[in-house]
Amino acid sequence: MTDAKYHAPEQGSLAGRVFRPASLDELREAIELAFDYRGDVTVELKSGGQVTGYLFNRTATGEQPTIELFPATGSGTMTIPFSEVAAIAFTGEDTATGKSWEAWVAKKDSERQREVDRVEAEAKARGHL
Amino acid sequence: MAVPVSQMYTVTKYVLTQKLRGVKRYPLVLMLEPLFRCNLACAGCGKIQYPDHVLDKRLTPEQCWAAADECGAPIISIPGGEPLIHPEMPEIVRGLVARQKYVYLCTNAILLERKLDEYQASKFLTFSVHMDGLKDEHDLAVCRDGVYDVAVKAIKAALKRGHRVTTNTTLFDDANPERVRKFFDEMMALGVEGMMISPGYSYQKAPDQQHFLKRSRTTELFSKILSNRKRGWQFNQSPLFLEFLMGRREYQCTPWGNPTYNVFGWQRPCYLLQEGYASSFRELMEKTAWDSYGTGRNEKCADCMVHCGYEASAVEDTFGSLSGFAKTVKITLLPNAR
Repeated sequence: MTDAKYHAPEQGSLAGRVFRPASLDELREAIELAFDYRGDVTVELKSGGQVTGYLFNRTATGEQPTIELFPATGSGTMTIPFSEVAAIAFTGEDTATGKSWEAWVAKKDSERQREVDRVEAEAKARGHL
Repeated sequence: MAVPVSQMYTVTKYVLTQKLRGVKRYPLVLMLEPLFRCNLACAGCGKIQYPDHVLDKRLTPEQCWAAADECGAPIISIPGGEPLIHPEMPEIVRGLVARQKYVYLCTNAILLERKLDEYQASKFLTFSVHMDGLKDEHDLAVCRDGVYDVAVKAIKAALKRGHRVTTNTTLFDDANPERVRKFFDEMMALGVEGMMISPGYSYQKAPDQQHFLKRSRTTELFSKILSNRKRGWQFNQSPLFLEFLMGRREYQCTPWGNPTYNVFGWQRPCYLLQEGYASSFRELMEKTAWDSYGTGRNEKCADCMVHCGYEASAVEDTFGSLSGFAKTVKITLLPNAR
């Protein structure tokens, strides 16, 4: 079956925001937001490094809660303990923004056609059409 | 008959075996998503909104077969993304068919005709073509003109080569019952084996309650569509699920009936909600708070009547009681009987 056609009314995207949690509760909240976010995030580590990627899972319970990412470069996954996270920045494009059915219908015909053409051209370039 | 006897026998045997073993929660259909990349960008599609490096990820054939073995469901539905984009899809399907799994390869059919040579016709393989209505409705839903015609041509070509073909249709609150009935006529005239229908429902991220089918509206819409149905219409679904859509039966969700495996792992709790991922099927089954999901239990599930949650409930009803079984037989033979 297909996916849902309708999505939520546009709300402020988190793109560009940085969360530097001061407590475990704030950290959990930031991680939940990152888990729901449909773009890459950059995780700043307490060790001083940082990782950019798609945060696709989190395990908030247990002795050592963790997050899991697909790094934007390279293959495989990366698991990071909550305790290592210093900050989370929403650095990637929010791929869900502006993609609602309502937003699409509300666009001018010319805008919609341009979007359709762009998607088609991208698919052709990948050999998917 | 919409489904071959061998498939009905396999499913019946599987369900009865689970019951005899006292298994309370068992999967019926594995939703295997080998990639999220698609060659369409339907407005608001919740499955393709990821960064490019995620869209480029694909499950390997070995991962797909391992998921099928681990899960054990007799039916495997392969949605996506667009599965036909996956370069190893023929190999994946061959491996699943070799395991005697009934595979429903869900496709928008844009690539189907040119890929047909790569697939051998089998009772275990069905192309489930996404069709959201007649030409106007479908092309609007997929945001590209001409896709309906391409799909119809591909369906004819697949049928000509002896493939099993079904359609799958998602209906929203703007559906016109008369147009949907005409669409059913068109699909059956093409010669498809059966049709699958379901109300659309939002992903947890974006429940726009203004437009999603509320339960009362869903039952009203499906009653108009399915009442006095034509005898020639064949549905590739449980008759009791159709009764449920019409508001004639009440079910609670059976989210473990259609587990989903994709590049992120085993999705909790279902195809529609993303509450996290388990690394194994066993972990999914044992460590998911199943009782926290379903209508009346979770606000995210309030109006959901989608097949992935309730088709398995209908199957459970069929095999769980004599009255359910009798009702299924009756509706199968006399679809318009009350």
